[in-house]
Amino acid sequence: MNALQHWLLSLIVFAPLVGLLILAVLPSRKTSWHRTIGLLAMLPSLALCIYLYQRLDNGASGLQWTQKVEWFHIGEMKLFYHLGVDGLSAIMLLLTASISLFAGIASLYITTKTKLYYSLLLLLEVGVLGVFASQNLLLFFLFFEMTLVTLFLLISGWGGLEKKKASYMFLLYNGFGSAFLLFAIVGLLAFTSTLELDQIKAVFAQVDLGGLPPEATTFVWGIFLSFMIAFAIKLPVFPFHTWMLKVHVEAPPPVVMIHAGVLLKMGAYGMIRFGAGLFPTLFAQIATGLMILGLIGILYGAVLAFSQKELKSVIAYSSVSHMGILVIGLASLTEAGMQGAIYQAVSHGIISALLFFLVTSLVERTRTTELIELGGLAKQLPILSGLLMVGAMGLLGLPGLSGFVSEFIAFLGVYQVNPQIAIIGSLGFIIAAAYTLRALLKVTYGQAVTRFQHVQDIQVREWLPMLLLVILSIWMGIDPDWIGNQLQQTIQIGG
Amino acid sequence: MMFTWAWVLPLFPLIAFVLLIALRDVIEKRLAVALSLIGIGVSFGFAVYLAWIGVFQQSVIQTAKYQWFSIGGKPLYLDFMLEPLNIVMVFLVSLVSLLVQIYSMGYMKDDARIITFYAYLSLFTSSMLGLVISANLLQIYFFWELVGLCSFLLVGFWYFKPEAKEAAKKAFIVTRIGDIGLLIAIFMIFQKVGSFDLRVIQDAVGSGVLTGGALTTVAILIFVGAVGKSGQFPLHTWLPDAMEGPTPVSALIHAATMVAAGVYLVGNLFFLFAGSEVALTTVAYIGGFTALFAATIAVTQNDIKRVLAYSTVSQLGFMMLGMGVGSVYASSFHLLTHGFFKALLFLAAGAVIVALHHEQDIRKMGGLWKHSKWLSIPFLIGCLSIAGIPPFSGFFSKDEILYAIQLSGKKDLLVIALLTTFFTAFYMFRLFYLVFAKKSREKHEVHSIPWSMKVSLAVLAVCSIVGGFFSFPTTNLSAETITHITKLPGHAPLWLNGSAVGASLLGILLATFLYVWRQGSAEGLAKRLSWLYQVSYRKYWIDELYQVVFVSSLKVVAWFLNGFDRFVVGGIVRFVGWGTMSIGRLGSMMQNGQNQTYVLVSLIAFLILFVSLVFGRLIG
Repeated sequence: MNALQHWLLSLIVFAPLVGLLILAVLPSRKTSWHRTIGLLAMLPSLALCIYLYQRLDNGASGLQWTQKVEWFHIGEMKLFYHLGVDGLSAIMLLLTASISLFAGIASLYITTKTKLYYSLLLLLEVGVLGVFASQNLLLFFLFFEMTLVTLFLLISGWGGLEKKKASYMFLLYNGFGSAFLLFAIVGLLAFTSTLELDQIKAVFAQVDLGGLPPEATTFVWGIFLSFMIAFAIKLPVFPFHTWMLKVHVEAPPPVVMIHAGVLLKMGAYGMIRFGAGLFPTLFAQIATGLMILGLIGILYGAVLAFSQKELKSVIAYSSVSHMGILVIGLASLTEAGMQGAIYQAVSHGIISALLFFLVTSLVERTRTTELIELGGLAKQLPILSGLLMVGAMGLLGLPGLSGFVSEFIAFLGVYQVNPQIAIIGSLGFIIAAAYTLRALLKVTYGQAVTRFQHVQDIQVREWLPMLLLVILSIWMGIDPDWIGNQLQQTIQIGG
Repeated sequence: MMFTWAWVLPLFPLIAFVLLIALRDVIEKRLAVALSLIGIGVSFGFAVYLAWIGVFQQSVIQTAKYQWFSIGGKPLYLDFMLEPLNIVMVFLVSLVSLLVQIYSMGYMKDDARIITFYAYLSLFTSSMLGLVISANLLQIYFFWELVGLCSFLLVGFWYFKPEAKEAAKKAFIVTRIGDIGLLIAIFMIFQKVGSFDLRVIQDAVGSGVLTGGALTTVAILIFVGAVGKSGQFPLHTWLPDAMEGPTPVSALIHAATMVAAGVYLVGNLFFLFAGSEVALTTVAYIGGFTALFAATIAVTQNDIKRVLAYSTVSQLGFMMLGMGVGSVYASSFHLLTHGFFKALLFLAAGAVIVALHHEQDIRKMGGLWKHSKWLSIPFLIGCLSIAGIPPFSGFFSKDEILYAIQLSGKKDLLVIALLTTFFTAFYMFRLFYLVFAKKSREKHEVHSIPWSMKVSLAVLAVCSIVGGFFSFPTTNLSAETITHITKLPGHAPLWLNGSAVGASLLGILLATFLYVWRQGSAEGLAKRLSWLYQVSYRKYWIDELYQVVFVSSLKVVAWFLNGFDRFVVGGIVRFVGWGTMSIGRLGSMMQNGQNQTYVLVSLIAFLILFVSLVFGRLIG
């Protein structure tokens, strides 16, 4: 038991590497084997994440399931391999493990270079899991970079027509983000002489930021803002969203499931963990500005989603809008707002995964996502259309699905501190209905397009995982406490 | 009496929905319909039982509450209420739903997707039942939106029809505009009171936590929600378009579900309105205006269902007017009787449409009186009832509203109400004569009507006749209740009864004159009053106005932002990208290879380093 206590997180994070090793020795022609191994290798992490989540002690403050081993030292300074979780990390780990598996399942139409593809997918999973489990900043940074490189390769290797451009734009933006992140980490190291998250937190808890000399204040602000910019690019916060649109449209849809479902949430996680968590007073000072950026994102994304001519772009801009809701919830610094923001991260993860899974299956059948070329698919593809309807309802925040709970709670929190922003932001709900229905009805309603007369509806291996995602969304929409209970500690830190 | 089973009311139709959707490809049609009928039947059984206990025996029914989830550490509860208003709504909703489902067995029997249709009907009923028993604002909003979803699904049921698609979209978006009002009201209440619980909110109003301007704002915002759902001006435009759905759906939406929700909400949350004169006046005038406005449109419409749709808008305005002058009793009574006779009218109209091979234009109808008494008599009962002719149910409830207006002393509203009564009688009998009386211009072979449709029509016809003789249940004032429903003091004066019936008779007389005695004179009149006719026929150009003001302006903003996103935000990116690329090119003059290879190599190197560092330390 004790060994498991220590090793559980490492097992979760590195279990997919077993699959990587097996894949390495497989011949490159055996496509179906690659897929099987890839999927199997994702299962242990998921199972262990579920176990961990259930066994999490809701009442305990601080980290659980920690593993801290001395790693190496540079001069006097010791660096630790330190993993650990609280409620927030645990829910993000669970989300990552499940969305990765769903993305793996959705990859069934990837037929080229499958060996490399599944290897990269596994590496990506390791990276994201590592990000959410790390309690040491160097470790965090390494995992963070790992996701960046693997995603770059996945986009450039299996993307759409403009994959080159998209992958470089991705690298460029996230490279900038990483630079800020690195600067912040080095700055913290200089300021606190440690990279251990809990020790840094302890240092800042004792420092009176108001009483520092001006240079030091500037320095701390610099660190804080670097963190915020790095994660604002990742989330993305308006106006840093351009790269994300390109990735949504050009990356292979199963990879977008992970990208939209989990990777963007690293931005939210970082803001909560490092922004609000380490620098609560500074965070409070920029909160109003952040809220305004979030508000712009909500409306800007929604209006643009309304004018897109292509399905993936609609979803991409809607992500900008939904991440805006996350930002205003976070920046409200209320318990409800924080809870809503985290819920939004999870809910958006589930719903985007569902939508891009559907897009995967749709593209395979229609070979296009241009809205003008689609229409009346409900006749030929009733199951796909039905699930698309559910996904769309999730997107526009219908009660009963996860999106409503998260958005409602976030707005409730925002209203408590800034009613104007909540009221203006709620216009987003109307525009969300407009852009979602416009796209949905264009695809599935109306006269059937003759070109698609012979397409086959989706099969069990596609609709069953989609249905699972739907059930997850409904479960969270009706009984959100299964997430909320684990989050009490995190929410209170923010509040 | 304690009734802890309130949650089963919406449960059974919900189960029916899930089963039907899941099994729609494998189950037999008749079994599916049976399942659906059982689901709603059980709910109706409970409704009868509750009506027996709560209305006839007048016991106060207590309900249980359950912990739901928590927001910011505050627990929320699933909470129910079964006061007389709720029980009446439960009864109306489940009865009309049951009849509509029976009716649809005949009406939809040739539709390939009948199982899906029944599934949606069941979900609709379930959501509406959930709505009318909720005692918690968040819970109300939850079902409120689900009701909206179901109307969207059913209005767009024939998804391949472009008009149905547009109508469904419009229904959803327009009502959502209203929903945002309700949503903001909920935020505001939570901020002031810290709870969604109606009982707590009521206490807060009583103890002065929520008063003055805040209370007025909250009440008006809630009314905005009701305006959207109940098709009040200026958010009425979706309702007539919703006629694109199958006719049984129209009956359900217009009589018992969707549109009733708004009036019900105002009635159920009346304690919020009661404390604010401004809010009440707003409700009264919006309601009164809508009543007259819609009635004047109905006068010139030529689609049988559209006439009925505008009459619904008008009647709902009438109910809102009643609420606004302070009588939940009168309005709820009218909501109930209207539920009966409007369902009857729609189902009868559906039978007419079926009988005439899906013809909906009343100018092409005529002479049906002789063909089928099963069509004409129920329709006539509906017309007499809505026109407010005694002893039909509409007379009694309309009378109460008029009396309430008179008691409030608002003379202008009384004039509006009487004018509405006149127009209502006129357009209903115009419709009746055009469909049933005059000679048909085109020879139709009339279809026979299946028994299932006859049963529903007969039950609703009986309800429309006798409904008025029961008085609406009032609340037991000694008990702690949320809605206070009290009878109006005394009786309406005779002159009021007289002028109401007189206005109706005048309307009927005019219709008889124009469409029976001097057939064809109506066209002449329309030509002479051409601009008036156009204003009414074109529905005051509201749709066109909205198209320009809202839809087009959103498109323009979108177009503008699209350019901004592409050229300004994207331009900065390109500039930075170009800069980086240039530096990159400089670098690559020294090494020429593929970038991807380099990245791959560095990735692998990085991994080896990482893994060896981690595991080397852990193991060694």
